[in-house]
Amino acid sequence: MITISTLIAVPAIAAVVLLVIPFARQAAGYLALLVSLAVLGAVIGFIYRFEPVAGYQFSDDVSWIAPLGVRWHVAVNGVSLAMIAVTALITTCALGFALWAKRDRSHASFALILLTEAFLFLVFAARDLFAFYVGFEGMLIPLLVLLVVWGGAGRKFATLQVIAYTAFGTLLMLLGILYLGLTAPGGPNFDMTAAIGRGNDWVFFAFAIAFAIKSPLFPLHGWVLPAYRNASPEVAAVLSGVASKAGAFAFLAVLVPLFPSQSEKYAWVFIALGTIGFLWGSLLAFRQPDGRGVVAYSSIAQMSFIVLGIFLLSDRGATGATFQMVNHALVSAALFLVVGWLETQVGSGSFAQLGGLARRRPVLATVSMVLGMAALAVPGSSVFASEFLIMLGAFENHWWLGAIVALGVVLAAMYMLRWISAILHDRESALAGTLNPPDLKKGALMAILPLVLVLIGLSIAPAQFTDRVDASAHALISAAAKEAGR
Amino acid sequence: MIKAPDVNWLAIAPEMALMIGAFVLLLLASFIRGRDRGIGTAVGLITLVVSAGFAINAWTEPATTTMAGAVQIDQLTQVVTVLIAGCGILTLLVSFGWNRMRENGAEFVALLLLVAAGMDLIAASNSFVTLFVALELFSLSLYVLCAFDGKSKASLESGFKYLVLGTIGSMVLVYGAAFLYGATGSFGFEAINTALSKAGSGDALVILGTVLVLIGLAFKIGVMPFHMWVADVYEGAPTNVTGFMSAATKIAAFVALARVLFDALPAIRDTWAPALVIIAVVTMILGNISALVQTNLKRMLAYASVGAAGFGLIAIIVGGEAGTRGLIFYLAAYAPMAIGAFAVISLHERDHKGIATLDSIRGWGFDRPVAAVSMVVFLLGFAGFPLTVGFIGKFVVLGSAVEGNYAWLGVVAVVASVISLGYLLRIILAMFDRGAKSGVMMAAAPGMGSLNLAIVLCLALVLIGGILPGLGLDWAADAAKSLAAGR
Repeated sequence: MITISTLIAVPAIAAVVLLVIPFARQAAGYLALLVSLAVLGAVIGFIYRFEPVAGYQFSDDVSWIAPLGVRWHVAVNGVSLAMIAVTALITTCALGFALWAKRDRSHASFALILLTEAFLFLVFAARDLFAFYVGFEGMLIPLLVLLVVWGGAGRKFATLQVIAYTAFGTLLMLLGILYLGLTAPGGPNFDMTAAIGRGNDWVFFAFAIAFAIKSPLFPLHGWVLPAYRNASPEVAAVLSGVASKAGAFAFLAVLVPLFPSQSEKYAWVFIALGTIGFLWGSLLAFRQPDGRGVVAYSSIAQMSFIVLGIFLLSDRGATGATFQMVNHALVSAALFLVVGWLETQVGSGSFAQLGGLARRRPVLATVSMVLGMAALAVPGSSVFASEFLIMLGAFENHWWLGAIVALGVVLAAMYMLRWISAILHDRESALAGTLNPPDLKKGALMAILPLVLVLIGLSIAPAQFTDRVDASAHALISAAAKEAGR
Repeated sequence: MIKAPDVNWLAIAPEMALMIGAFVLLLLASFIRGRDRGIGTAVGLITLVVSAGFAINAWTEPATTTMAGAVQIDQLTQVVTVLIAGCGILTLLVSFGWNRMRENGAEFVALLLLVAAGMDLIAASNSFVTLFVALELFSLSLYVLCAFDGKSKASLESGFKYLVLGTIGSMVLVYGAAFLYGATGSFGFEAINTALSKAGSGDALVILGTVLVLIGLAFKIGVMPFHMWVADVYEGAPTNVTGFMSAATKIAAFVALARVLFDALPAIRDTWAPALVIIAVVTMILGNISALVQTNLKRMLAYASVGAAGFGLIAIIVGGEAGTRGLIFYLAAYAPMAIGAFAVISLHERDHKGIATLDSIRGWGFDRPVAAVSMVVFLLGFAGFPLTVGFIGKFVVLGSAVEGNYAWLGVVAVVASVISLGYLLRIILAMFDRGAKSGVMMAAAPGMGSLNLAIVLCLALVLIGGILPGLGLDWAADAAKSLAAGR
């Protein structure tokens, strides 16, 4: 029987093996891909076995560091399983893209991507604050090396930014975790269940700042642009697709359930910041000169939107935020891979160098169009469903909040349409004309297509998703919602 | 006739073994010219293992004092003995391929064993007399080790500076102990404690004595503002010695401080704790800021170790069971990271045939992937990233601070940690700088194997300690009970 622990251990062990043994590129790539596919298969198995109820399932709970009262406690509910599934999918696609892109020292890069996956699984599944911290901070290590060794020209500055921002946040959270764990009645106990409701305002903000940086929530998004611009495409896909989701996920699955009264008390702060970030990010996305810039700022906007959805503290908001996390993960990962592919073909992601690429390239045009339509939340798309849920929640909260949020959704349409037309339509640039890049095909397509297909699947049957996470999402916010009298 | 005090020889067997080993080597030195390296290393390793073996064997024995109460043998002594022996073994492995080992290996190892004996005795000291003798035994030998590379002016300068400044520290300590003697009528820790518990800290002699003792020990630990020797000495000393110093000296000096503060001066905690708070804050912040502007790797890590000493002070300030356990575990955790990091620098110096700077290591990581990845782990360990033993050390010390109502010191430590990332990342970025060709000669120098072995051993210790630290935490908790504050 495959447990959650095995799910975490397999990519970690595979990563160590790949790091230690210098396989050739092909061998290492196919081995990593095989491992990630196996993990993906196991995750699908979990989804199949999953009961759509509120509580945590598939629990592993053993003593880890006895003198500190630390336990290895992992389990999943609907929300975390959704995040684990999307992580497994995006990791597989990222590995596929890395294999296609032929990186130097590839065995190490594959290993580090797998290691990131393991840490992310731990973040999503941990039920013990110590284990959660290990995942939350630990994922920085492989991402840091991936950025340093395989990053673009500005990678040094980007790395310093990422690490300084996120390490500051997580270390503050560490103090909060220590407070919760060490003041537990009956000796040190870092289990999340034991920490519910025991934190004070200081501890709440220690956690909240860490999560806000990771999400990123306006105004703590300074690290995002350099990181997304300089990471290699597959790493940018993992970063924006799932690593940043760790922050939003933690808001929903750690902060709100652990601090119900503070979450209710300070919900307005996050709603306000989320609204500002949503509008601000969308506006800036509209002004970006290159493909990555648009996706990066739209990520900031969308993540702010998701945080807003969480702090509505309503069922619709929570389910919508979860759904939007998954949708945005798929969309932004796929967009980064498409932009990355363009960069490898044209040598630049700048809109000035692109344009008119739809002609003679039907596959590229179709994939980009589908992604663009999803990103701008065309009715019928899964993104529309999730954004609609959050908007509905916002209207329930206050009609004017709903109105402001709707404005942001319009902005999203503007920047995405600009992205599509700048790449696919417009006049063909001189550079693109001379280089005459081929159509999206084979390896790169295989890496991007699964993401698109899953998006289409979710668009066709969104209820398949929401039915499974509804109960869990409701359970996560119910204590805080009760405080709010809802 | 003066009656000599009874000596429990078995209790002090670890220290005796080290001293006997040292003298045997010194005697042998003149006969084994040319085979110094092999014989010296072998005798050194055996002696260290024997000393650790005696300590482990005595682990379950009840605590005891001997030599008329001047020496106390308890689990803290045993843990320190094992730790110092471990540092010594790793240092011998690092030193094996060093060219000075070929010429004067026996003397080098003998001095190292004497240093270890002195450090063990510090942990066993129960009076200021023993403390001072032990301190001088290890310091004097260490001065020589720093100057051991006689052909290098930097090494001589390092030894000389350490000698002068270290001696000042010792003198101030003795001066302070004399005042305390004047106020309490005893050098013994327990007697001082008894006297102070009755009299309190009102006496000016007590205050003066405490301040001077603190300054003396602060010199040895290398916290601000008594840190000025650290960077120069670390930079000039042979790198294998630097690694040993940063790990073992820190253990010995901190344990000395703990013995004095927790065994002799707990009654006047209100006098010394505020002073240490200020020193800790200043040291953590300024130590790490000073490291930011360095380009020489050894200097950079020297300032990092100053910052780490400031962090260690938090555990002393908090005290109690949690604080002392945190201190001991943190010191133990720091050792493999420090020795490992300096071992990697040693390796680089041999590759590069020159000092290690941010420029010289540019791109070097791609030539020596194993060493460079190990370095990344050690550096992330300094910064306290999860899955390294440095994280657990940070976790227990910060935990004790949060529990002991010093959470704000924890916040300062967090800020200091973020500053430290600034320079730790610079090293990592430079090692993996794709743009640069390191252009080093990859000659297979003799002794490279043992250096690599030392690096991999440190790596294993750092990772195992980071993933499964339970046993180490138990030992640290037992050792903490030896100190009055831990009981």
